[in-house]
Amino acid sequence: MNATRRYFRIRLSAAEIVLVAALALAIIVMSRLSPQFLTVNNFFEVTRFVTEIGLISLGMSVVILTGGIDLSVGSIVGLSAIVLGASFHAGVNVWLAALLGVLAGALCGFVNGLIITRANIPPLIVTLATLAIYRGLALGISQARNYRDYPDVFYKLGQGYVGPVPVQFIVFVVFMLVFVLLLGRTVFGRAVYALGNNETATRFSGIHVDRLKLIIYTLSGFLSGVAGIVLVSRLSTAKPDLGLGYELDAITAVVLGGTAIAGGSGGIWGTLLGLFIVGIVRNGLSLAFIKADVQLVFIGLVLIAAVVFNQVTRRPARR
Amino acid sequence: MASLLEMTGIQKHFGGVQALKNVDFDIEAGEVHALVGENGAGKSTLIKILSGAYTPDSGTIKIEGQEVTIANPRQAQALGVVTIYQETSLYPDLSVLENLFMGRQPRRRFGLLDWGAMKKEAEAVFKRLGVDIPLSARLGDLGKAYAQLVEIAKALSQKARILVMDEATAALTSDDVERLFGIIRTMRSQGVAIIYISHRLDEIFRVTDRVTVLRDGERVGSERVANVNQNWLIQRMVGRELTNLYPRNIRAPGKVLLEVGNLTRIGVFENVSFSLREGEIVGLAGLVGSGRSEIVRAIFGIDRYDSGTVLLEGKPLSSKPWEAVQSGVALLPEDRSRQGAILAMPVRANMTLAVLHNLHKGGFLDEKQEASITDRFIQALQVRPPRSELPVASLSGGNQQKVVLGKWLASNPKVLILDEPTQGVDVGAKAEIHQLMDRLVNELGVGILMISSDLPEVLGMADRLLVMHRGHLVAELPRGASPEQAMAKATGLEAQGIAHVR
Repeated sequence: MNATRRYFRIRLSAAEIVLVAALALAIIVMSRLSPQFLTVNNFFEVTRFVTEIGLISLGMSVVILTGGIDLSVGSIVGLSAIVLGASFHAGVNVWLAALLGVLAGALCGFVNGLIITRANIPPLIVTLATLAIYRGLALGISQARNYRDYPDVFYKLGQGYVGPVPVQFIVFVVFMLVFVLLLGRTVFGRAVYALGNNETATRFSGIHVDRLKLIIYTLSGFLSGVAGIVLVSRLSTAKPDLGLGYELDAITAVVLGGTAIAGGSGGIWGTLLGLFIVGIVRNGLSLAFIKADVQLVFIGLVLIAAVVFNQVTRRPARR
Repeated sequence: MASLLEMTGIQKHFGGVQALKNVDFDIEAGEVHALVGENGAGKSTLIKILSGAYTPDSGTIKIEGQEVTIANPRQAQALGVVTIYQETSLYPDLSVLENLFMGRQPRRRFGLLDWGAMKKEAEAVFKRLGVDIPLSARLGDLGKAYAQLVEIAKALSQKARILVMDEATAALTSDDVERLFGIIRTMRSQGVAIIYISHRLDEIFRVTDRVTVLRDGERVGSERVANVNQNWLIQRMVGRELTNLYPRNIRAPGKVLLEVGNLTRIGVFENVSFSLREGEIVGLAGLVGSGRSEIVRAIFGIDRYDSGTVLLEGKPLSSKPWEAVQSGVALLPEDRSRQGAILAMPVRANMTLAVLHNLHKGGFLDEKQEASITDRFIQALQVRPPRSELPVASLSGGNQQKVVLGKWLASNPKVLILDEPTQGVDVGAKAEIHQLMDRLVNELGVGILMISSDLPEVLGMADRLLVMHRGHLVAELPRGASPEQAMAKATGLEAQGIAHVR
């Protein structure tokens, strides 16, 4: 037993070493592709880019830890952005409008959770359906319009700096630390891991599993809402197609970070590693003038490689 | 007569642990040889060596006097060694016939399946076993006993000479166990050698010819079954004398804790009424499928019920598990690895899962309190090894069960429902669990509702025994009733209209 435990521990850290190595490799390759890559300015540029995906992937980490999935996050980003834009243009104070956008995101997540627990439909199907529904709502409310012209103070969120550090990156780090504590040190986190490992036994232990799921999907929607607001501030405009395809990057970051797609093991630190790999690859490819279509293919391949890698490293531990 | 199989001086290490120390084992054709020992004694290792899953460090294996090496499962099968595990490897959605020939279907030209040949061979095998079974039936509709039967038939049609049965009766009802024993006797008369592994000691005496006991990787005894008794076996297995497997100090029961009135779930159980008092153990017996597990699941709130009442100390009990736990009801479920424990998580996380909601301090998980709860129950239940960081999966079955018990004791229950608390638990840990149950009712006044398929156990432990048959409560037997009486009621042989028993 002693031996298996040591084995397990070495395995786990080996997986993380490989991730760090992959990150280093990505940095080296990207700096070869583009001379601008390895600069301090560009580093912070990457952190600006990873913030929105990062916020989403925090919620996604918790969702995937419980063995679920949330495909609707990208659409929630779009809908939150539109709620912000539309209510601001209807005369609401910009920060209040931002709050409404975030609340709309949380509500979307809550509805996901409600359908998953009450109708007992797999999260994959529910959030695939709401992916379409929320995007449809965003298009419907905005009538395909863009909302611009926010007060300057609002742009601080997505374009401002504190010293050399982008404001939104600070927002992300705060949320990230909260989630590290939430998962690692609280009763909620313990229940999440229990649920992901064995839902039946968790239910039989008297844990309110349905309420837990409801909270988790609401959190995921809430964070997607926050990401939507940050995105509007960064781009100075709210468009109904914002966040399109973000679920791909977020899920890739989480899975690449070692969270088991079946749930039960993984965590925020891994997600952070995965996030930076995805962010750096995207940024490096852009700097090297590689087109978005190629980037998509590349990210898709990374996702498959990550899942395969996770399965290979986990197989001995699962016995 | 020369032995069919002879294993001599088998040694096996795993890292620093010596799993088998110089073990000898032999079996003759037409013999049923029991292999017993506590969990971790080395039974599985020996069997895995025989079936080619492990290679021994040293020692020889002879079949019909010829020395053989068994390097992989395929070679074992070629030599006629077939192992049937507790968890069958069959496909419940396929027919009996398809299961029987899965992966080795006879073919005709153009790769077409030769259904005729399959049917003929299947009929021959089942005739040999002396059973009649519909070949086209979906296996999942037939029940677990038939799954075992199909496994055996599959083994025989693969020309098995040495059949290893690992806890074959664990999931079977007593009726099905009888049927299985009949088949074992038939195979024995046809010269098949059967290695029989079971935790149920009474079975050893009923069906086997010889018994070999392993303890801590060593052979500590091998005798003809006719020459030994149960005490001899237990003493060899645990290395000490267990004075009493069912220690009970009966006390006068106190006030009524749990009162179940006319509980009904349509099609599963009907109008079930009974009560449970402070300081008493009430047994609930019945065949698998009689509704006994379903009732306790409904009481605890895992399943719904259609009508009836459940009162805890006179007040209606919520039908939500999380509220039932808060009001002092605990359910140790029948399926330990699926419903009871979270195997991949450490002992500590499992032990505190039922009281998790009380375990926060300033928003965080109170790790100090968690450690103190865990240590307390590791001590009280003698969990071995006593390490709270180990994943539950690395413990033996008995110790896993202690962890699940500890989880529920930590919630300080008034009513403790135990569904098969000692299934797959070795005899030493079994006695410990029984002692603990006695202490709980006597010292803390807990009321225990206990389900067990092991009739001697439930009769030995319970103050009174409720018997279910096809969703109805058909009898209440006092302490001291015989297993035969209980069985007669449970099988419906004596079910004349006693639907309501208090």
